[in-house]
Amino acid sequence: MSWQNLSPELTSAGETLRELVSEMERKAPYAAALLARNGGLQVVVNDREQRVTETQPSQGLVLTVWNGAYFEEAASGDLSREDMFKLARHLVETVDVSTSRQAIDPGPATHAHFVTPCVTDSTTFTPKDKLDLCMELHTKARRLDPRIVNVQVRYSETLESKVFANRTKQLSQNVLRLRLNVAMFVSDGQQLQYDWVSKDGTGGLELIRVSDEELLKLRDSTVALLSAEKVPPGMYEVICAPDVSGVIAHEAFGHGVELDMFLKDRARAEQYLGKPIASPLVDILDDPSYSGGHGFYFFDDEGQLSSPTYIIRRGVFERGLADLFSAHSLRVPRSANGRRESFERKVYARMSNTFFARGDTAVQRMIESVERGVYLKHTSSGMEDPKGWGMQVTSHYGEEIVNGKLTGRLFAPVGITGYVPDILQSVSAVGDDFALSGGTCGKGHKEWVPVSSGGPHLKLKARLG
Amino acid sequence: MLEQTVDALRKQDGVDDWLARHIQKTSTQYYVIGPSPESRRTVTSDQVAVVVMNDHPSAKKDEGPMRGEAEVTILPSDLHHLPEKLSRAVFMARLTNNPAYGLPGPSEYPTLDLADSAMQGQPREVAERLIQQLTEALATEKDVRLSSAEVFVEESRIDIQNSRGVSGRQMQTELLFDFVLLASHKKEEMESHIAFTRRRAADLDVSALAHCQAQYARDAVVAGTPKTGTFPVVVSDEALAELLMSSGHSPLVLRSAAQLKYQRMSTWEIEESIFSKEPSGDPFTLYSNALLPFGTRSGSFDKEGLPAQRVPIVENGVLSHFWATQRYAEYLEISPTGSFGNMEIAAGSLPFESLLDGEGPLYHVVAFSAMSPDPLTGDFVGEIRLGYEMWKGRTRPVRGGSISGNLFDVLAAAQFSQETVFLGDYKGPRGMRFARITVAGA
Repeated sequence: MSWQNLSPELTSAGETLRELVSEMERKAPYAAALLARNGGLQVVVNDREQRVTETQPSQGLVLTVWNGAYFEEAASGDLSREDMFKLARHLVETVDVSTSRQAIDPGPATHAHFVTPCVTDSTTFTPKDKLDLCMELHTKARRLDPRIVNVQVRYSETLESKVFANRTKQLSQNVLRLRLNVAMFVSDGQQLQYDWVSKDGTGGLELIRVSDEELLKLRDSTVALLSAEKVPPGMYEVICAPDVSGVIAHEAFGHGVELDMFLKDRARAEQYLGKPIASPLVDILDDPSYSGGHGFYFFDDEGQLSSPTYIIRRGVFERGLADLFSAHSLRVPRSANGRRESFERKVYARMSNTFFARGDTAVQRMIESVERGVYLKHTSSGMEDPKGWGMQVTSHYGEEIVNGKLTGRLFAPVGITGYVPDILQSVSAVGDDFALSGGTCGKGHKEWVPVSSGGPHLKLKARLG
Repeated sequence: MLEQTVDALRKQDGVDDWLARHIQKTSTQYYVIGPSPESRRTVTSDQVAVVVMNDHPSAKKDEGPMRGEAEVTILPSDLHHLPEKLSRAVFMARLTNNPAYGLPGPSEYPTLDLADSAMQGQPREVAERLIQQLTEALATEKDVRLSSAEVFVEESRIDIQNSRGVSGRQMQTELLFDFVLLASHKKEEMESHIAFTRRRAADLDVSALAHCQAQYARDAVVAGTPKTGTFPVVVSDEALAELLMSSGHSPLVLRSAAQLKYQRMSTWEIEESIFSKEPSGDPFTLYSNALLPFGTRSGSFDKEGLPAQRVPIVENGVLSHFWATQRYAEYLEISPTGSFGNMEIAAGSLPFESLLDGEGPLYHVVAFSAMSPDPLTGDFVGEIRLGYEMWKGRTRPVRGGSISGNLFDVLAAAQFSQETVFLGDYKGPRGMRFARITVAGA
């Protein structure tokens, strides 16, 4: 069976969804049903171990009813017809429907099945082919330097299948996500350092090729980290590589414009709607329809078809990212950002592919324009603070810039902090390049969903420490 | 489901060893925004996590037999094609070549307190009661209101069996309580956000937590920026647990893992100091404790079926044991300890209040935006979500800026409080004073 078709279990259960919706809408003013399945393959090769295994799958049904004031849900991993109806009847029996509030709009009638396009379909290759790919990369990387103590190559392939139905829609999608990570570990006998190169996206194997040149660069950066220093704390002119720019867009700004945060009065961004928040050079978008992005999908978990959202246009905060409940409560248009970790979790307003739009400054020119600063090359983590708008992003390392030249002196790790509007307003150049990096994003410390973030290089001012 | 799976595993060609864990879970979830419900959910899930091992000759002449393993998860809809699923697992296990290792045999499992009977019997009532207690506590708090809260009340039943005769069952509960408070002062508003995970509701004093977080929220509104420099820093309570435990991704946990030692990614050696500098603070003693009553990482048995233990990992700054699952224990020829349990750290020499003594400037951090030291190097950078600057007898709240350093270096020169706290997966000193930490502030 081709991965492009729904599995027999989802096909069979999917045929029942509209009936379940009708059953629930006998009492509730609005109902919806979602089937969600994740599963795939993972291959890991390092110096001392090999592993080919299934990624832990998740499969279940979520039934949602609007009681007039809020959503009530019941979810189960059991997809037999009898149990799905039992779940629906039980949910409806326990719901206390109030008619005092506005009804939910189910949206225009849409029936469609979507599949991610790919050039080199990974599913046509066997697990052995994928193991061989990892072993070949491992062998190549392992030879590059005597200080290498281990190299770990990790390939993962996840097929995410969703079927959504309400009274007007019946949508299904199969999204294939790939990721390849090569991590290199080096030691000088005293200390251990590491760095990695990662490729990812939705589509085929063409997205995740790691070249020999990239492995050599990885060797160079990892070995150089053995002599990295701590950055002297202070304000710096900073050039951010695309994945650092992306984490600023995502962590520093994106989380604060998820509209459920507005409902909870947790977002300072609310005060800036329609107002300048960033340098006029800055555009930030969230686009689940961005082809190949790791956060790509055709429709969200509430049946909203994907399209790009301009969050900031020419420095002005235009709009936030909505799930159905926040859009309904705030009376704003929906965007396709209602996402859940799995059938076991609630929908929240979440980002997808979030990025700064490309500018027109050559990266080399940006570096040459810095008198004393740091080139931040690789992000390791970030955390949101939508109310205080304090930014925390950690770069795995940065390289010193003096008089417009990279000096080779590395700092690691580098914490980037500051007040988000100050940082966004300090952007003085936007690169003419563009790249996205994939990963998973939590809301607070949980609710993990696949996303990407990125953009071009940026020149800005920030406090490093 | 477990019986059917085990039956199929026994019949499946190519399965030389196997392990099956049946996890049945129910979750009751309640979300509020301010005083109003945002959502209510109930979830049930049922799955069997299976590991199959296949032994096969090595492709190289000078090597002995090799073992490969693969994991598959059996969902209810998989039961009618179990042989197909298991056959695919055997195929994947056959592809990989690892030195031979075994599985644990039968053991007597300790009886542990892991479940809260109220959460098992009346999950919805427990969730509603927690929200009510929070609301009532906040009614007396000036200038503070509830932004939102989430409560998950979960019950799991775990049954385990393996091909070497392991058989066990445990019932456990888990409570997640997450809330955000907003404080206002003049035209400014700021939040405090906290999430707790516990096995029983009685381990959360909601009223005390609400009052403490309300004060943090009020302090956050008027907080200034810390200075830049190198200062003594005290980290306490949840912020300290985050720095040391990092939800299990701590460098203390990873560097003491037999798996990392086997993979040459830990430089630690038994009977050697874990510090690169001569220790000058309180003696650092760390246990992996899977026996801790109601610990969120406690369990009668671990994922492989090894019985729970309390294992000394570091004693007075010296590594005494690597913690090891069966496979890596065999590779390193040491005794298996099971997975890392809860982090238990021996109490220190000073009353907590004494840690804050001195002319200053000294910073006391009570909340980070996020604090995850690098799991391999121990380097850390964390934004101060809320802290207090103490200088010349004055205390002022601070936020923003960051602290940075290396966890092993700062622990070598740290003093710990005599008072200990239990915070779900951490039991140890309430506070630690680190002699010199870099603060990047104003």
